[in-house]
Amino acid sequence: MATALASLLPKPLYSAPVEEEEEVEVVQPTLALAPRAVIPPYGQRSGWRPLKADDFGDGGAYPECHIAQYPNEMGKKKTAAGNTLALQVDSEGNVRYDVIATQGHREGVRVQSQFKDLVPLAQRTDLSETERQMELPTDDEIAATAERTKAALEKLVNGKIKAAQPKHVPDSQGQSQFIRYTPVQQSGNGLKQRIIKMSEVVEDPLEPPRFKHKKVPRGPPSPPPPVLRSPPRKATAEEQKAWMIPPSISNWKNNKGFTIPLDKRLAADGRGLQDIHINDNFAKLSEALYVADRHAREEVRQRALMQQKLAQKEKESKEENLRLLAQRARQDRVAPSGSRAESAAAGGSGAGRAGLGLADYGSEESEEESEREEEEEEDEEAAKVRDEMRREKRQQRERELRMNNMGTEQRAKMLAREQNRDISEKIALGLAKPSVSKESMLDQRLFNRDALPSQFADEDAYNLYDRPLFHGSTAAAAIYKRGNLGAGNDESFGGGTEEGITEALENDRFGLGAPKNGFQGAGDQEVREGPVQFEKDTGDVFGVDQFLESATRGTKRGLEAEGSDSRKRRQIDRADERED
Amino acid sequence: MATATEGQLPPLSGLLASSSRRTAAIFASSSVTPFSDELSSRAKLAVKISSEYEAVRELPIGLRQQQGPQAPKQVKAIEGPPPETTRLIEAAAGTTAPQAALTLAPTSNQTPLHRALSVRKQQREVKPDYHPQWRLSRVISGHLGWVRSVAVEPGNKWFATGAGDRVIKIWDLASGELKISLTGHISTVRGLAVSPRHPYLFSCGEDKMVKCWDLEANKVIRHYHGHLSGIYALALHPTLDLLVTSGRDASARLWDMRTKAQIHVLSGHSATVGSLLTAPVDPQVITGSMDSTVKLWDITAGKAMMTLTHHKKSVRALAMSPAEFSFVSGSAGGNNIKKFKLPGGELVHTCKGHEAIINAMSVNSDGVQFSGGDNGSLTFWDYKTGLPFQHMDDIPQPGSLDAEAGVFCSTFDMTGTRLITGGADKTIKIYAERTQ
Repeated sequence: MATALASLLPKPLYSAPVEEEEEVEVVQPTLALAPRAVIPPYGQRSGWRPLKADDFGDGGAYPECHIAQYPNEMGKKKTAAGNTLALQVDSEGNVRYDVIATQGHREGVRVQSQFKDLVPLAQRTDLSETERQMELPTDDEIAATAERTKAALEKLVNGKIKAAQPKHVPDSQGQSQFIRYTPVQQSGNGLKQRIIKMSEVVEDPLEPPRFKHKKVPRGPPSPPPPVLRSPPRKATAEEQKAWMIPPSISNWKNNKGFTIPLDKRLAADGRGLQDIHINDNFAKLSEALYVADRHAREEVRQRALMQQKLAQKEKESKEENLRLLAQRARQDRVAPSGSRAESAAAGGSGAGRAGLGLADYGSEESEEESEREEEEEEDEEAAKVRDEMRREKRQQRERELRMNNMGTEQRAKMLAREQNRDISEKIALGLAKPSVSKESMLDQRLFNRDALPSQFADEDAYNLYDRPLFHGSTAAAAIYKRGNLGAGNDESFGGGTEEGITEALENDRFGLGAPKNGFQGAGDQEVREGPVQFEKDTGDVFGVDQFLESATRGTKRGLEAEGSDSRKRRQIDRADERED
Repeated sequence: MATATEGQLPPLSGLLASSSRRTAAIFASSSVTPFSDELSSRAKLAVKISSEYEAVRELPIGLRQQQGPQAPKQVKAIEGPPPETTRLIEAAAGTTAPQAALTLAPTSNQTPLHRALSVRKQQREVKPDYHPQWRLSRVISGHLGWVRSVAVEPGNKWFATGAGDRVIKIWDLASGELKISLTGHISTVRGLAVSPRHPYLFSCGEDKMVKCWDLEANKVIRHYHGHLSGIYALALHPTLDLLVTSGRDASARLWDMRTKAQIHVLSGHSATVGSLLTAPVDPQVITGSMDSTVKLWDITAGKAMMTLTHHKKSVRALAMSPAEFSFVSGSAGGNNIKKFKLPGGELVHTCKGHEAIINAMSVNSDGVQFSGGDNGSLTFWDYKTGLPFQHMDDIPQPGSLDAEAGVFCSTFDMTGTRLITGGADKTIKIYAERTQ
């Protein structure tokens, strides 16, 4: 069908031959699109504008055209040479847009500027099989290239290393030249000819260059090649994030003094970058420790419980034992008293409560018998009390004796013990409790004493102390007592001898002995044993109470007063007399 | 009655059998041949064939060329029409063959579209060569820093590596034993090359130094002074005594080996020039830069002949094939390895399948192309077609981090049977083809 159509149609004027439209630098016949200028004949030039040089056709201006004309470019202002390129087409009629890329290059430079340069070689239609071959250069080619390059480069190298070659080392001797010189104008003197020796001025090879080396500015770079790749894709947000490199922030330097947020600083620190990895074994260890601790605590608790039980049991057994003992003792006591009661009952006398009760129960006794019993009981009581007192006295004496024999330290200890301040014994017994907190060493004896505020009086009462300082202590007594007074000491009163006494009296400069004549009323003052005790004066000093009492009683003044009373009575009497 | 029909129909097979028997009995006597008109059926077939299959009677020119001169194979009709019909069809084909009036347009007046289609078809058919798989055969640990450069001696006896520990070490290629350590650089050694015509080893480093070592005395005999910043690549001219170095000062410098003179500064890149190639004919120097361009240089003029702007990211690796006049360049990202034809610099193809930052590339004469990524991924390609045939992962040596699986440099040995790579795990790894 197509062939039939082709046969019908006229043959194309330019049958496209199998041509090679390969590299652009291959010189193609290019056609200028601008048509040839046509000059209208004379008389038909109205409205025609001759602008180009062609319009004038080697001639002058057209006077009938009323526009500015520049035949042969005469009178036209010279402007800079334009770099506008003429539009060109290739042999197939395609506009060659890449002329702009190819122009301005040296000879032999190829510019890839078309789409076909992106097409793989095997798929290009404009190349023949031979052009697709990539055969290695032949030896001849290689040799020729090497020869050519070597020649070119040798020239360059020779130029470069000229300075290093010792060609220009000047002759120190100086190549001198002798010239015979015959002056044209012969002067009067007889010298017709002169021989001149000409030698070059010796140059210092180390002399710095006399002329300044001027740098030649670089020529314009070759035009940029057409870019045969797609423009770079814009980085996506993820890519940007992936490439984000945090600014380096030093912890030590901030020369510009920027304000850096704390989080940035921390980020720069790299603290966040390294994730803290804790070994599992730590967790295991702590778990094991916890379990062991639990176990130990449990065991301790069990043991404590068991010990407590044991102790309780022991205590119970002890108590039982004690109770048994007590019972036995009671029974023992009961047994003799019972026997005594029996005996008393038998002998007509009752003693002991049990016996008394028993005796009370079913026996009628005579009055005298009971009286006798009462007397006997009173005697017994008195004897018991006496015995008790005696024992106490003896104990006290013994203690005093012991105390006298004790050293001071021992005595202080004893004193402290008496005052309930000694805890050494408690410590020894394990009863003392150490203060728990070490920060505040407080006297624990002051804790939980509810009596403390009540011992202080009201705020307006000025007793600062709740009790006397040296109350009840021997030291207090010693303050207010005359030392060794009447203690039967040998040294007091001069040892009791006559000389001693007289001596003491003589030496008694201050009359410290018993006052011969003291203050009035001082004699009957009792000897003080402590600080002066003031008594509250309850008497009505200013008579206020009396006044108030009288005011509340509401009696008349005159009736009360004795003197005025008589006067009034006299007046009353006189009035009575007059009436009578 | 109703109940009988309702219950079940009489069996049909018996009825059919009786009917057929009766028919056979009726027509058994009369021997009438079945209706068959040879001529009419042939005409019918011919019409049918020409209307339906005439358009595809002949292969397109491209396919025919591809298939070669031999005739198309006979189609075997396994379950086709009955033999009579087949015979008729063959006969019809035989009769219609001489009629050339209805055949398609000959090759002379093919349309461009047709041609393009045929070419595309052709291209699709290119098959890669077979290459055996590669495997890790040896790991050499001896450097104390990243191994950044490797070079094999032309005699294939030993190879040299330069590393971040500032030492160049020379190893025996066969046994992997250390032969000597050369110290002299004061920063990472980034480029190494052994001259095939001199007993010289050239090295460059990030300390801006290019050193020429005399391997007979193991001493530095020359310095090439001029780089303004660290030097990242070094290459020797294959035929001339020239040395090319390139680095962080966005320039490549061409040195005369003997006089130490800097012949050219190949400036034009706008970023670090990280890779270099040299060729015996123009373009004699090819540079790949971090400004994502590849430039082909004319070293007689010291100017760029061409700029290839196909890559999207910095070009970190270049490799030239020893078997054909082309080179590959590798950069970061996907579709990042591109093969270019020389000397024109036409794009040959793009190798797809190695999504990484390509740090090292090598090609051997068997057409095996290697690319090593910054993340330790290794890919082996068929150089002809650009199809990968093996993907591997670099295994960092024990005691190193996962991040240290990276390949920085690679080279095939002179025979092309072993691949030497240097990596971020401070080891040199030697890969070899797997043998059956």
